[in-house]
Amino acid sequence: MAKIVLDPVTRIEGHLRIETQVAAGRVTEAWSKGEMFRGFEALLQGRDPLDAPVITQRICGVCPISHALSSCKAIESATGLNVPANGRYLRNLILGANYLQSHILHFYHLSALDFVHVEALLDYSGRDPVLLDLKHWAQSELNTNRVLPVAPFLPKLPGDYAQNAQWNLGALSNYVEALDIRREAHRMAALVGGKMPHAATLVPGGVTCATDADMLEDFRSRLRRVRRFIERCYIPDVLQAARLYPEYATVGRGVARFLSYGVFDEESTTWMPAGTLNGRGHERLDLSLIHEDTTTGFYRGNHKSHPQNAPSPIPQTDKPRAYSWLKAPRYNGLSYEVGPLARIMVAAAAGEPSIVDPLTDFLREARLGQDQLASTLGRHAARAFEAQLIAARMENWLDAVTPGAPAILPYQNSDAGNGVGLIEAPRGALGHWISLKSGRIGSYQCIVPSTWNFSPRDGDQNPGPVESALVGTAVNPEFKGLEVARVVRSFDPCIACAVH
Amino acid sequence: MKMTRRTFLKDAGIFVAALGLEPVWLPKMADALEDMAYGRAPILWLQGLSCSGCSVSLLNSESPGPADLITRYLSLYFHQTLSAATGPAAKDAVERAIAKGGYILVVEGAVPLTLKEACKFADENFADQLLRAARSAQAVVSTGTCAAFGGIPAAPPNLTGAAGVDAALKQAGLRRPLINLPGCPAHPAWIVGTLMQVLKVGMPDLDAHLRPKIFYDHLLHEQCPLFALYQKKHFAENLGEEGCLFKMGCQGVITQADCSLRGWNGGVSWCIRGRSNCIGCARPEFALDPRFAFFRLNEENLF
Repeated sequence: MAKIVLDPVTRIEGHLRIETQVAAGRVTEAWSKGEMFRGFEALLQGRDPLDAPVITQRICGVCPISHALSSCKAIESATGLNVPANGRYLRNLILGANYLQSHILHFYHLSALDFVHVEALLDYSGRDPVLLDLKHWAQSELNTNRVLPVAPFLPKLPGDYAQNAQWNLGALSNYVEALDIRREAHRMAALVGGKMPHAATLVPGGVTCATDADMLEDFRSRLRRVRRFIERCYIPDVLQAARLYPEYATVGRGVARFLSYGVFDEESTTWMPAGTLNGRGHERLDLSLIHEDTTTGFYRGNHKSHPQNAPSPIPQTDKPRAYSWLKAPRYNGLSYEVGPLARIMVAAAAGEPSIVDPLTDFLREARLGQDQLASTLGRHAARAFEAQLIAARMENWLDAVTPGAPAILPYQNSDAGNGVGLIEAPRGALGHWISLKSGRIGSYQCIVPSTWNFSPRDGDQNPGPVESALVGTAVNPEFKGLEVARVVRSFDPCIACAVH
Repeated sequence: MKMTRRTFLKDAGIFVAALGLEPVWLPKMADALEDMAYGRAPILWLQGLSCSGCSVSLLNSESPGPADLITRYLSLYFHQTLSAATGPAAKDAVERAIAKGGYILVVEGAVPLTLKEACKFADENFADQLLRAARSAQAVVSTGTCAAFGGIPAAPPNLTGAAGVDAALKQAGLRRPLINLPGCPAHPAWIVGTLMQVLKVGMPDLDAHLRPKIFYDHLLHEQCPLFALYQKKHFAENLGEEGCLFKMGCQGVITQADCSLRGWNGGVSWCIRGRSNCIGCARPEFALDPRFAFFRLNEENLF
C-alpha cells in the first residue's frame, strides 16, 4: 500500500500535515495533523476580561474579526450587556468586509493555483497589460540562473491542469486584480475597525468608533468596487471551474452532517440561520450536545468535555495514539462539517428566503444539483455564492446605520458569570466560552471552525470531517497528491485557529 | 509593459512619500527598485508560532502594491501562505534556497524554545529549521512582535517556551545581522521599507531593541492628533467616548511607533482614530504582563 504525505500543506493558514493511505488508486484512510500549538486558552486565565477580544483575535490574522466578536459576545453574555442597533450593524459591516477579503483570498491566492496551468502565460500573445507584465517577468526569471525562478508560482505539483487558455489566463489576470480587491475589502473593515488585520474598535458593548455620513459613503463606494469584482470575476471563474472540473462535484463529499451557529445579527435574530443537518432536515442547535475529545491530541488526559467546564490543556507530546495538536469536537457524539457550505445548507433547509431563492438560480447556472454541493467543487461554489449574498446584504446594513447614534453601551465588569459567544467565521462555526472569577478570566475555551473540519479521530476512533472526505478520492501517483490537496483546500484550513 | 527608468522613478516617488523620506532619497530608491526588479530580492519567508497576520499585512502594502511586490520586486523563494509548491515540493524549495544562501530571511511568529514540537515543518522542528536558514541568510528580519520579542505566545504561562528570533539565535550562539519589526501586525510599509533598505543601502540605523529608527523613533503620543485634548485634560471616561484615551489606559504614551503619522490600511484609519486605545503592540513587553490590562477604565493614577 502506498502512502501520500503532504507536509507542509501550503496556501492555507498555519501548519498542517496530511497523511493518506492509498490502495488501488484511491485513498483508503487519511490523518489530519495540526503541527503548531501556542496555548491561548492557558494564557487568558487570570487576565482582565477586556483583554480577551484583543488577545483572541490574534489567534488568526486572516479571521481576527470573528474571534474578537465571538469574545465580545461571550463577555456580553456573561455580564448581561446588550449592544445597540448601530453597534450591531457596524459589527456586521466589519465582519462582512472581512468575509469578502477572506473568501477572495481563499479562491484566488490559496486555491486557484491547484486548477490553473500557470505556464500558459509564457505562450500569451494578447495585449492585456497585466498579463504582458506577468509574462515578461516570468520570462526574465526563466532566462536567469535563479535557484527558484518564477517563485512563488513555481514549482508546483504535476497534474491534470486545464488546457483552456481563456481559463488559465483569465484566472491569472484575476489573481492579480484580486490582490487589490482583497486589500480594498480590508480598507473597508479598517474604516470601522481602526486597522486590519487585528482591529482596534471591537469591545464588549459595541464598537468604539464614531460614524458619520462621509465614512459610510466611503465604505459604500469601496463596497461597490469589491461587489463588482465578485459579480464580474469571482462568480464567473467559479462557474467556469465547475465546467472544467465537473468530476470534483463528486470528490471530497465528507460526512454530510452540517452545523451553523448563525451569523450577522439583525433585528431579533441572525440573518444566516443557526441549526444542524443530519439527514432529517433542519434541527435546532442544542449547545449542551457539544464536547471536545482529547484522546488523539497531544494533551495530557483523555477528556471528553463541554467547553464550559473543560480543563486548560497541558501539552504531552509523547502521548500514545496522539497525532495532532487539534482536539476533536463532536456534536451529539458525531463529527460535523462547518463553513460556507454548511451555512448555505442550513439556511436552505431552514427556508430563509433571501438565501434559498438566489441559491436555486445559482445552482442552475453552475449546473450543480443541490446534492452535489457537498463536494470539493460545491465548497468553492458555496463560498463564492455566499460572498455575492453578503456583499449585497451589506448595502442594507449600511442603510440601517444611523450616523452619530450610539454604537456602544457602557461596559461594567462582573465578579462572576459564565458566557458563550457564538458566531460564524468565514471558515465556519466559532464559539468562545468564558467564565469569570473575582472579576478576572477564570477559564476560556475556543472551539474553532477548522477544529471541527480538521479534527483528528476521537476516542472511538471516528475520523474527523476532512479525514472522512478524503476517503475514496482517486489519486494518480504521478500527481504526488494534487487531488488530496484540492480536497483539503476546499475546506479553507485555518490551523492556527484550529489549535490556538 | 516594459519596465523603464520612468517606472522605477514613479514607484520610487510614491514609495519615498509613503515612507516619509526626504526627496533626496528618490534616485537611490529608484536604483533600489531597479536592482530589485532585475536582480530580484531573494526572500525566504518562514512562519513559526504565528497567526499569519504579518503575511496578510504584507499583502496590504500600498506602494508598491502586493502584485508588484510579488512579481516585480521580491523573489519569494518560499512563503507558506503564497507558494504554489506544496508538500515535498515545498520542502525542496526551502532546501534549495538554504543551499544557495544569500537571501533575506523574514521570520513571522515566535520560536518555541522548550517545547520544540509545538511547531513543525516537514517533519523538522521549526526551531531547528530557523537556525539552518539563518546560517545562510545575509540578514534576518523578525517581522511582528512574536518574531521580535515573543509576543502573545510568550505570555505566561508560556507552555512552549516561546521567544523572539534574536533570543533563539543568541541561545544557539549564532550571530547574524538582525532587524526587529515589532507591531501586531507589522505595518506593511515597515516591512517593505526595511527590505528595500537592507537590499540597497545596507543595515538601517537601529535602536537598542534593534528596530529601525526611521519607523520606531517617535513616541506615538507626541504625534497623536489627540495630544491637544490631552493637554486640555479632555479625557474619555468610557469606551467609545470622545476625548484623549489616556485614562482608558492608552499606551501611546509609552509606545514607539509612527502609527500616529502613518495611519493604517492606506491611511483610512488607525486605532486611535477608531477611538480605541493604543495597546502598545509594538512594545517589547506587549501582552507579556497579565496584570497590565489593555484597557484600564477610569484609572486616575496611571504610570
